[in-house]
Amino acid sequence: MLALTKRRFLQLAGLSIAHRILPARLWAGAARQPQASRKVIIVTFGGGVRYSETFAPEGLRNIPRLVEMKPGGSFFKSCTNAGVLSHYNSTGSILTGNWQRVDDFGFQPPATPTIFEYYRKQTGAGPMDAWAIATNKSFSLIGSGADRSLGQPYGANVVLPKQLLLEAVESVVKKNTSGGAANRENVLQHLETILSEGYEGVGWTIFKAGGQLDRTVRDTLTHALVEYINGPEAPTSGDELTFFIAREVMREFAPRLMLVNFWDMDVAHWGSYSLYLQAITKTDRLTGMLWDEIQSNPNYKDRTTLLILPELGRDGDINAANGFLNHRSGDPSCRNMWLLAMGAGVTSGEVERPVFHVDVAATAAELLGFKAHEITGRPIQEILS
Amino acid sequence: MAAAAKLSPTLQALIDKGLFDRLPPTFSTFFFEQIQEWETLFPAERSYHERLFSLIDRSDPAVVEKMFEPLRRIEQVMGVNEKNWPRRHFTLDQVDFLNRSAHYPQWRKTVSEIFARLDPLLDEETARKGHARLVVVIAPAELPVSSGRMWLRIRQHGKRIPVEPPDDVADYLPLLLTGAPRKDAAESISAKYALAKEPYAAWSIEAGSGLSDPGGRGALVTLSYDRLRDYRTRLTNEVTRLLKTQEIRGPRQLVARLNELKILASEGDVGRDPVLAEFTRAILLSGNGTLLINNTFVEWSTVQAARRARPSVTVVSFGIRNKIKPFTSLLIYADQDKSNPIPSQMDTLGTYVDLEVFYQYIWQEFEKYAEYRHNTAYLFIGEGMDELLAIAPPDFPLLAAKQPVRLAQVFGTIKDWLNL
Repeated sequence: MLALTKRRFLQLAGLSIAHRILPARLWAGAARQPQASRKVIIVTFGGGVRYSETFAPEGLRNIPRLVEMKPGGSFFKSCTNAGVLSHYNSTGSILTGNWQRVDDFGFQPPATPTIFEYYRKQTGAGPMDAWAIATNKSFSLIGSGADRSLGQPYGANVVLPKQLLLEAVESVVKKNTSGGAANRENVLQHLETILSEGYEGVGWTIFKAGGQLDRTVRDTLTHALVEYINGPEAPTSGDELTFFIAREVMREFAPRLMLVNFWDMDVAHWGSYSLYLQAITKTDRLTGMLWDEIQSNPNYKDRTTLLILPELGRDGDINAANGFLNHRSGDPSCRNMWLLAMGAGVTSGEVERPVFHVDVAATAAELLGFKAHEITGRPIQEILS
Repeated sequence: MAAAAKLSPTLQALIDKGLFDRLPPTFSTFFFEQIQEWETLFPAERSYHERLFSLIDRSDPAVVEKMFEPLRRIEQVMGVNEKNWPRRHFTLDQVDFLNRSAHYPQWRKTVSEIFARLDPLLDEETARKGHARLVVVIAPAELPVSSGRMWLRIRQHGKRIPVEPPDDVADYLPLLLTGAPRKDAAESISAKYALAKEPYAAWSIEAGSGLSDPGGRGALVTLSYDRLRDYRTRLTNEVTRLLKTQEIRGPRQLVARLNELKILASEGDVGRDPVLAEFTRAILLSGNGTLLINNTFVEWSTVQAARRARPSVTVVSFGIRNKIKPFTSLLIYADQDKSNPIPSQMDTLGTYVDLEVFYQYIWQEFEKYAEYRHNTAYLFIGEGMDELLAIAPPDFPLLAAKQPVRLAQVFGTIKDWLNL
C-alpha cells in the first residue's frame, strides 16, 4: 500500500479534477495565470441554520471563529431569504441575484444566469477562474443557468467532492483486483455509504460525475483513498472534504470567483439537536480555516472579499411542524439570516439596514467589475465603499 | 381494531352535494385527498374532518364565502387553474406549485387566517367533551446529569416534585407505571386505560422494549423502535436496493415506491392493524431520521400520535442514542452496524442535549390541541432521579406535594386522575 499523506492525496484529488475538466493545454497553464485583481469567495454557511444557534446571544458559543472574525468585518444583522426555502433554490438565488423557483432537488439549472457566466463572458476570464465546490450532492447544475446566450460555456467548474470520490471508488476499487486495500468490498461499501448522502428522504439522487479517470490517476486515488479514510486525519464529514478540495483549488488555480457550499448542518433532519450543534461548530471551524487560507495565500491576501451567509434557516421552536428538524415553514426563523463580509474593501462594523440573499450576486458583480443584467438584487453599498 | 368502511356517510353526503367543489381548490383538494385514505385514518382524524366540513356546510354561505374570499384572490394571483390544480387531486405537484410560488408566504398566511376562524369553533366542541389526560415522558437512567440539569426549557411551566427513588433502580419505572415492583409484573397505567376505553386511546412509545407487553394488551398501542428492528432492516435494505438498481430519479418516484413498503404482520403487532401499519410506515419513511435514530423515532411518533390520534394516555420512553460513526454520519438509509465495523458506542451527553429539545417539542405539540389544554397532566421522569417535573392543571394533586413522594403514590395519583 502506498504511504500517502493527506496532503499528497489532496494534491492528487486536485490534479484529478483538473485533468478531467480541462484540456491538457489549459491545464498546463492554469496555475500560472496572473491573478492581480479582486477576488470574491461566497461561503454558504450551510445546510440550514437558525439565528438562535449562531449570532443570537445564546448561539455565540457554537461559532467561536465567526465571533472572532466579526469585529474585522461588516456584519449585516438582517439578511433575508425571501425565496423558496430549499437548499438548491436558495443557493441559486444567491448566485443569480434572482429568486429561483426551479426544481428543489437540482434537476434543473437556475432559471436565470449565474454570476459565474456574466463574469466569464464579460471579462474573458478562463474556466479556471470560476468554481463552485459543493457538499450538497444535488448541486451539479448550479454552475450555470438555463439562459442559452450564456450557460455552460461560461459557467463555473462544479465540483462535488464526494461524487468525485464515489466515482473513483466505484470505477476503481470494484474492478481493480490487484494490490491496495485488504478488503475491497468493505471499502467499497463503506465509501458508497459515506458518499451517497441525503438528509431529506425524498431528495435522493446519485449524479454520475463525468467520464472515467485516467488509469494512473485512478489507481493512485484508490490507494490514496484507503490511506485517507483510515488515516489519523481522516475527514468525518462531507464539509471537511469540501473544505480541503476548496483549499486545494485555491492553491492550484487561484480562481477569482468561487462558491464554497457547506451542508453538514442539514443533519438536523435526523432529529438530533446535538449533532446539529456539532455540525454548526464544525462549519464555523472550516469557515475560519478558509479565512486563514485567504490570509496566508499570497494570491488571496488583501484582494479577496469573503461573503459568508446561511442560505436558509430552520423552523422555529414555537408552533412549527417539528422545530429545528425542518426548514419549510416559512416562518421568520427560516428566512431571517445574517451576512458577514470580510476582507478587501470591507469596513468593519454592524449594519442594521436589511439586505437580501439576492443582493450577494449584485455585490459580487460590482466587486469584480462586471454587470449582471436584469437581476432583482442590489449591490450592498456598505461592502463596496 | 377493524378498518372502517370507505368514507363516512356524512362526508360522502357533503361531497355529493358539491361542498368540496365550491371551496377554493388549494383548500379543498388537500382535504379531499386526505379523506380518500379513510381506512387508515384514526377516529380522531375522521371526526375532525366530519366536524370541519359539517361546520362549513351548516354555516351561513355568505359568511363562508367572505372567509374564503382572500384565499380565492391569492389563488388567482398564483395562477391556480384546472390544469395545475385538478379538482379532487392533490399530489407532490401541488406541493411543488405552492412551494415555488412567489406568493406562497401570503397563501400560508391566508390559510392560517381561515383556520384561526374555524379552529376556535371546533375547539369549543372538543373542549365541551374534555376529560382528564396523561402524558408521561421518561428519560433513560444513563443520562450523565442530575435532576437539577433536567427539563431546562420547560421547567418554568411546571413544578419539580421530589420523589423517593426505590433501592433497586429496576423498580423505578414499574413502581411509577404499575404501582408495584418489577417482580409483580403488574398491569401498567396505559394498559389499564386501554382496556377500559376506546381503541387508540392509550399509547406506549419507546426506544427500547422494556415498557410494553409484546403480547398486546387489548387496545394498547405499543410502538417500540427495538421491536421494529426487522421492519426497519427491511426498509433500509429495500430503499438501498431501489436506489441502486432502479430508475428512482426523483421524489415522486421514490415516494410511490416507499408507499408500497408496508409492514408485514410478522414484523410487529402494529402490522395487524391497517391504521397503525400505515402510521408506522409513514413514521419510519418520513425522512426525519426515524429509521436511524431511536429517539427521533420516539419523538416523531409521539408528535404524530398527538396530531393524528389524540390519545388520552401516552407513555413515552426515550433511550440512549448511539454515537454516529465516522463517515456514516450523513446517511439516512444505512445500517451503521453493517456499514462500519467499529463497535457502537453510547452517546449519553449527546442524548441529553437531544432530549432537552424533545421534551419541549412534545409538550408544545400536545398543547396545540384543545383535547389537551387545561386537562392534561404531563409528568417528565428521569429514571432513577429524585425529582420529576409535573406540568398540570392546578387541581392535579401531585402539585401540592410538600415532601418526597413515593413512586407508588405517583401511580395512585395518576390512576385517580384518569378515573381508573
